[in-house]
Amino acid sequence: MSDTATVPAHRRLRQRLVHGLLDSPGATSIILALLVGVVMIAVTGNSPVEAYTAMVQGAFSGSGLRNTIARSLPIITMGVALAIPFRAGIINLGGEGQMVVGGLAGTLVAIELDAPSFLVIPAALVTGALAGAVWAALSAYGQTWLQLPILITSLLLNYPARALTGYLVRFPFADPTVTSSSTVPVPPSGQIPKLPLFGGVSAFILAVLVIVAVVSIVNRRSVPGYETAMSGANSRFSRYGGVDVTGQTVTTMLFSGAIAGMTGTYLVTGETMRFLDGDLVASQFAWTGLLVTLLARHRPWTILAAGVFFAALQSGGLAMQRTTDIPWQLSQVLQAVVIVAIASGFVLRWRRDGGAPVDATGRVETERPTDDAPVGEL
Amino acid sequence: MLSGLLDVALLDSVMRALIPILLAALGGMICERAGVFQISLEGLMLIGAFAAVAGSFAVGSALVGVLTAAVAGALVSLVLAYGTVTRGGDAIVLGVAINLLALGLTSFLIAQLFGVRGVFQDPGIVGLQRFAIPVLSDLPIVGSALFRLTPIATLALLLVPVLWVWLFRSASGTRLRGVGERPEAAATLGVNPVRTKYLAVAASGVLAGLAGAQLSLGNVVQFSENMSSGRGWIAVVAVLLGRAHPVGVLGACLLFGVAEGIGFRLQGQGLPSQITDALPFVVTLIALAVARRRFKRVLELTAA
Repeated sequence: MSDTATVPAHRRLRQRLVHGLLDSPGATSIILALLVGVVMIAVTGNSPVEAYTAMVQGAFSGSGLRNTIARSLPIITMGVALAIPFRAGIINLGGEGQMVVGGLAGTLVAIELDAPSFLVIPAALVTGALAGAVWAALSAYGQTWLQLPILITSLLLNYPARALTGYLVRFPFADPTVTSSSTVPVPPSGQIPKLPLFGGVSAFILAVLVIVAVVSIVNRRSVPGYETAMSGANSRFSRYGGVDVTGQTVTTMLFSGAIAGMTGTYLVTGETMRFLDGDLVASQFAWTGLLVTLLARHRPWTILAAGVFFAALQSGGLAMQRTTDIPWQLSQVLQAVVIVAIASGFVLRWRRDGGAPVDATGRVETERPTDDAPVGEL
Repeated sequence: MLSGLLDVALLDSVMRALIPILLAALGGMICERAGVFQISLEGLMLIGAFAAVAGSFAVGSALVGVLTAAVAGALVSLVLAYGTVTRGGDAIVLGVAINLLALGLTSFLIAQLFGVRGVFQDPGIVGLQRFAIPVLSDLPIVGSALFRLTPIATLALLLVPVLWVWLFRSASGTRLRGVGERPEAAATLGVNPVRTKYLAVAASGVLAGLAGAQLSLGNVVQFSENMSSGRGWIAVVAVLLGRAHPVGVLGACLLFGVAEGIGFRLQGQGLPSQITDALPFVVTLIALAVARRRFKRVLELTAA
């Protein structure tokens, strides 16, 4: 990176664009996924041009932009939530469970707490965060005390989380006036307001920006941020260098669960207004967030961009389903193909000169910070 | 209470729960022995369940459905083999992505091919018949539960001793273990590690595909979205708990099968389904904690 100082500004900009975008494994993978989509659409007897046009229009024009941005909020926060432990080399597959448990806890506060909005909303979000953190702590301490891999326990805990919340909204906290398993609606005092932005986006967007900015600053400028990157790169070295890897495992998981739980609370008190059993699971935001983190290599601002991209794929896909008869799940397939391609290390070689963000074999370091980037730049 | 729980019907529901998990776990075990961390069993099982219904519906034959499931599972598993073995990619990332790919793909296809959402049920789907082994199936209590099974279930049970002998007594089984434990040494002795790993992953694809076929043509005759519902993940845990040994894996799977069977029974006695659904997962977590194996390999893989 030191040589860039001597290069004229316009060439630097071009370098950044060409190298940073076109040359990245992300761009290659997205192109590849879109090609897979073309084949899938054509094989099932539809026009790819028509389908993709409908997708782009649906994602950005008219109310599409609002839908895309609204959809991107939980994807981005879940992405950041999972990125925090991921950066330290810990894979949290339990985002879903943490989101669901936090979502119900926060919703119950929003329903039960009889106070003005400016108290109820923060109280609900904080409660959601705490409950999500508690659920994540089960996995974290499982690893630090019992040597049970977080990868496995966090995933398994998604199912009891579903069952527990499903039971609670079916029996003790059920709305007796409806047949579905659901809480009563969140009263106005507990609802997160909409902003007059892009035609009505939830005020939660402010929280999203703060979360992304804070995590980014902590990653770049703080001692824990440096230490997590070091553990992600080499946990043994990190431990040898005096980092409390055990404490770090617990801390990163707690923050991860907290942001997931807060996201769950937002999804109810800002969007659906009722905690309906299975709703948050079906949304798949936790898994989309995981894919976004993998695509963005756990960098917060890149997660924001990747989150908007995946949200556009989804809202565009839903619009495409309305205008053509192609199921929107095409978008889910495209998302997964992007990550398969990234993990397989496909990179188009546009570049002629040196300086590779991927290593010699073309393999992308997906779960660790890249070797070439100084830790301070992550 | 216990005497009311243990009977033929319980044994039958234990077997229904056991077989899909066992087949997938045996596939995962083969991969583990070849040194490939296989966490895409959940997705492969789902692909198998869908392909089985699609094949059976298209041709009107359960056998074709089963073969379609095996081939589809193998094909999708090659994505993992190519990504990890050929491209040196991360098996965990690829596994997660394949699981989500399977979920998206099957949901896409059920809507696109059959024009339905959520569940595809049709009299045109031919399910698997159970066949009775003469004499043995007449035994009291265990007879009908153990010896009146679908061909896939019988295959699953037979695979346990077969894989045991194959892994530890045959030349090719020893080569497979060699590739997993000492790839360089195996390569020096003329074993092709790349080919061995591809075959191991493809075998897990076939077995997970068959597990899916048992779900969608054996246990029920329909496909519903995300019908593997965590069984593939339980299979991953069974490989860990059973230390990638056929008998150990069978034991672990049996534990989950019994948990699900008892859960099913308790549901019949009025316990909310939300609680009984969680039972196999809670039992899995408790078993992990009790076993307190040091899952070094997984911990190293996740670099923590």
